[in-house]
Amino acid sequence: MPEPAVIFENVTVELGGRVILDRLNGAVEAGVLTAVMGPNGAGKTTLLHAVLGLIPYRGRILFGPRRSEKRPRLGYVPQRLDLDRGSPITVRDFLAAVLTNRPLWLGIHRHTDLSAVAMLKHIGVQDVLQTPLGRLSGGETQRVLLAQALLARPEVLLLDEPAAAVDVAGEALFCDILDEVQSEMGITTLLVSHDLSVVTTHARNAICLNRELICSGPVAQVLTPDNLRRVFSPHIDIFGHHHIPSLPAKDEPDGFSG
Amino acid sequence: MDFLVDLLRQLLPFDWLEPAFMRRALIGLVLIAPACATMGVQVVSFRMAFFSDAISHSAFTGVALGLILGLDPRLTMVAFGVLVGCGVLLFARQADLSTDTVIGVFFAAVVALGIVIVSARRGLGRYFEGVLFGDILTIGPADLWMVAGLALGIAVFQAVAFNRLMLLALNPPLAHSRGIKPALWEITYGVLLALLVMVTLRMVGLLLVTALLVVPAATGRNLARSASGLFWWASLVAGISSVAGLYLSYAWGSATGATVILISVLLFLASFGYKRVRRM
Repeated sequence: MPEPAVIFENVTVELGGRVILDRLNGAVEAGVLTAVMGPNGAGKTTLLHAVLGLIPYRGRILFGPRRSEKRPRLGYVPQRLDLDRGSPITVRDFLAAVLTNRPLWLGIHRHTDLSAVAMLKHIGVQDVLQTPLGRLSGGETQRVLLAQALLARPEVLLLDEPAAAVDVAGEALFCDILDEVQSEMGITTLLVSHDLSVVTTHARNAICLNRELICSGPVAQVLTPDNLRRVFSPHIDIFGHHHIPSLPAKDEPDGFSG
Repeated sequence: MDFLVDLLRQLLPFDWLEPAFMRRALIGLVLIAPACATMGVQVVSFRMAFFSDAISHSAFTGVALGLILGLDPRLTMVAFGVLVGCGVLLFARQADLSTDTVIGVFFAAVVALGIVIVSARRGLGRYFEGVLFGDILTIGPADLWMVAGLALGIAVFQAVAFNRLMLLALNPPLAHSRGIKPALWEITYGVLLALLVMVTLRMVGLLLVTALLVVPAATGRNLARSASGLFWWASLVAGISSVAGLYLSYAWGSATGATVILISVLLFLASFGYKRVRRM
């Protein structure tokens, strides 16, 4: 039995009188990447917000093999930042604000800068330190957001569709970096993603939601055509893909998942 | 504070600063305008200009309530403004409505209530010119202490909250993941902003108080290349506008609050031009 990092016990989230997540039970394996899948409105982001403790929920979310209610150090990578392109806030400001409470207007300590630069270098975007956040490309933004999450030295890393705003190549690069960081640091990672190819390539386990738990477990066992139809829609067509050996090819020998 | 007013006479022996009320106005403006500018940095980030407008327009009702209840209208004005600010923030967190809509409802309610009270109790209307236009030149020694205390409080708040509020404006769940409580900081900021709006309103009037928050911060965005630069540019622009506006209002015989705002708008336009040139 693998060691659990996050345990859900009857977790129900109700917002504005509407049930978003219904009696979720399950566990997230420690030290590996687990994907959270489901259609729009399935409660994927809500699940991450519940893990963060940002929203009220019924039931219990416990952490670690000791089933502690105390949250471990969490890193969070959102889809995007809410800022306009004219904002003067730089990557350096952003990372310093994450690293220290010393107000930015009193200047940034050298050791804060060194930590930020080291992390940016680690994920291959050291050149963007002085760049305003609004001027970064989609891929750079996601890597800077990953850098801020990693600077917290998280025990659990939460990623909310981190590659939603980048192209296919950018997404692949981001996932490769995530793989590298994940295997190096062994961080328990929960990744919300719509993309089957990302999940099958990079995740060890998957949790499939549609307001309630549809299925969970190792990717190869969970992502069956039946389960995917239950999660997304009974009407979708599923095509075989070399990354998903369990999926039978339907019409095309090397098609796409849809 | 009298000591400072007298000291200023020795340090700046200019004709226009000869009257004590001009020196008090200068101290008051130099304290409050940068405080407004620094809080304005977050007003711009959180898109809260409408919030500050709603608070300032509640001044009518606050003054009217004070006069009806036989209380000091200056105090009831500030207290009512802070109450309205708390109401907006708490209601916006509970209601399934956008913050703008909640502010719009509160805005309508406080203005309508003020007009009903004033129209029903004839004779109250004469008090409202001061609320509309403010008058920095009537600021007294006790007011200066209050302004100094508030400016100090805001400086301390900005030292503690600046980074946290920046992360909150960028992404609330991300801020939460760093141990920042969104509700705590947003409400603390909102209450302090409401307090600042009501105190500043006595100097520049309700029609211009939001400008003192927004215009220097907007100018700072044009000139700054970092978050720190934004803070200091906004403060500097507010300070320069205050001193230049006070002097020019003396020279032209114009309303001080409006002249200060006009100078800050001119600085904004200049900064906008500078930004365009820098990009070419």
